[in-house]
Amino acid sequence: MALNGALSALYSFFVTKLPYITIAVFLLGVTYRLQRWLSAPKGPEGPPLHWPSALKYVVLDVVLFRKTYKTDKLMWLVLVLFHIGTGGILFGHMRGFHLWSASMFEVLGHGFAEFMVHTLPLYMGWMFLATQIYLLYRRTRLEGKQLQSLANDYGALVILLITSILGQGMRIFPPEAIPTETYSVVFIPNLIVLHLEKVPSHHWFFWHVLFTQLLVMYLPWSKLVHVVSGVATSALYGSRRRKYDL
Amino acid sequence: MTSRDAKEALGKFTRRQLMELDTCAHCALCTEYCPVYMETEEPGHAPGVRSSKAVKLYDKQHGLRARILGPRPVTDEEVEELSDSAFNCTFCGRCMEVCPFGIQTHELWSKVREVVHDLEGTPRNVGMLEEMLDESQNPYGLDPDSRLDWADFTDLEEIPEKDKAEVAYFVGCTTAFKGANHEVAFATASILNMLGEDWTLLGEDEWCCGSPLLLAGDEHSAKEYAKHNVEVLESRGVKRLITGCSGCYRVFKWEYPKLLGGDLKFEVLHTLEYLLEKLESGELKPEKTDERVIYHDPCELSRLGGLIDEPRKVLAYLANDWVEFAEHGIDVRCCGGGGLLQASNNEARLAIAKKRLDEAKSLGAEIITSACPSCKLTFVDSAREHEVDIEVLDLVELVAKQLGIL
Repeated sequence: MALNGALSALYSFFVTKLPYITIAVFLLGVTYRLQRWLSAPKGPEGPPLHWPSALKYVVLDVVLFRKTYKTDKLMWLVLVLFHIGTGGILFGHMRGFHLWSASMFEVLGHGFAEFMVHTLPLYMGWMFLATQIYLLYRRTRLEGKQLQSLANDYGALVILLITSILGQGMRIFPPEAIPTETYSVVFIPNLIVLHLEKVPSHHWFFWHVLFTQLLVMYLPWSKLVHVVSGVATSALYGSRRRKYDL
Repeated sequence: MTSRDAKEALGKFTRRQLMELDTCAHCALCTEYCPVYMETEEPGHAPGVRSSKAVKLYDKQHGLRARILGPRPVTDEEVEELSDSAFNCTFCGRCMEVCPFGIQTHELWSKVREVVHDLEGTPRNVGMLEEMLDESQNPYGLDPDSRLDWADFTDLEEIPEKDKAEVAYFVGCTTAFKGANHEVAFATASILNMLGEDWTLLGEDEWCCGSPLLLAGDEHSAKEYAKHNVEVLESRGVKRLITGCSGCYRVFKWEYPKLLGGDLKFEVLHTLEYLLEKLESGELKPEKTDERVIYHDPCELSRLGGLIDEPRKVLAYLANDWVEFAEHGIDVRCCGGGGLLQASNNEARLAIAKKRLDEAKSLGAEIITSACPSCKLTFVDSAREHEVDIEVLDLVELVAKQLGIL
């Protein structure tokens, strides 16, 4: 009972208090990262940003992973599936926040809508997990030979993997009886409210909530900053190619 | 070295470079394309590991912990490791070309060397090179008087050294001082004479272009060399500068404007661009050879210089049968001759070149040609060391040969 009480308090903390801390740490991280870059010397003028070339290489290299395709076909496949998984899962979560609803797929038939909101996410979850495990395996395999990872190279991957395992666990383990009010999980009133269609597996859900928030907090401090900075570096690379007429 | 010095040295990474260091995911996708790593298989020589080491040292002095609790000292061992990584690099830029994020590694590694230089970690051999430059304005430590000795050795009859000329031929140290390249200078001079061009050499006034200084991380001195060379060229009213050295070409064309803070008043051409002009206008009419020729793109001319089609167009005038390496153009694999690797790891340099020579042989090439004295020297040295039977010619030599003047 005592454990249940403590756990309940903890779970309540994950939902009602932690989101504020998450947002604060995330914003602090963004501020730190920007300040870290902006406090460095500007350096000599690089090539001016040439938008068409910048856009071209962002599409080719960031969206289509052109260079990875050229260098390592298996890694390209894994990265494509990993990023499709990321996009798909983020999109799926938006339904819980009422940014879209299953009815938008009903025009293509009820069966298709069912597939899109129930069947596909489960398989996408497995695929997402498999790609992360490969990335972790690859990193450990090459460690000390071709790369020398820093703690945050593993940090982001490990937190993401735990978050994904917990998320997938929610789907595959049977739900437990939990209070009805968790059908709508209010993280920040009137701003971030998660509406759940089904009661999820209790423990998996709340630990998933915790690790998702840890991931959000860690994002600007971690190597995942490449999600944003990688677009900028690819755009600059595109402009460089233009300048050198390549 | 004080901790203030370390902080200042590591604080030299620019905004873009710091963003690039933070972006590098240490994915190791570049590793198998790094010619040095593939030869030495030393983890420290992998580009991603260099990035890890650099950002680790940066964070010791400028990271969040350093800002809150104060910087931590950078040890001699750490500087040595970073130096070993930085100087076991040919500066070929291949890692930039395969990097999923397009990190501009050529500039980044240049900054890492500058940091190593400021942390007093430059390898001894590279340091000696700087001393020789100080004394004689060339990286070989030879008397500046002997800069035109190649003309005597090759029996060149007309050696113009004029006060004013339209065109200047900037020979470059590796062409002027290395016997393997003397005929490149002879071929260029002979073609200029044959065309009746109003041209000049700079003689003793020609200083090293500054490329080795930039590669050694000494940007400050490189600026002095840039200033001197530009002043000499401008005082002679030069409108077009021709050089057959890819390193000199890249530095004049892309680095001097950055070092001097403005555009140059004269046009910078690689000899190949000049020759292509003359071939297309019909002023030069070479015979075509039937020997099978293979062209190796110098990294500094192609990926880092922007000249990929021009040498191939020139080659089309010279050979009936020419072939390409599997990795060519922007994806060229370095010959091993760049980045001062000769000074820091000559064994790796020669072994890297051997792979290229073996590939050329396997494609049936009888002549391997390039457009860079450093590539030629490396191929010649490696062919001698590893007993590879292939003729090594600069493309300018091939032009002269097919014109019947060499």
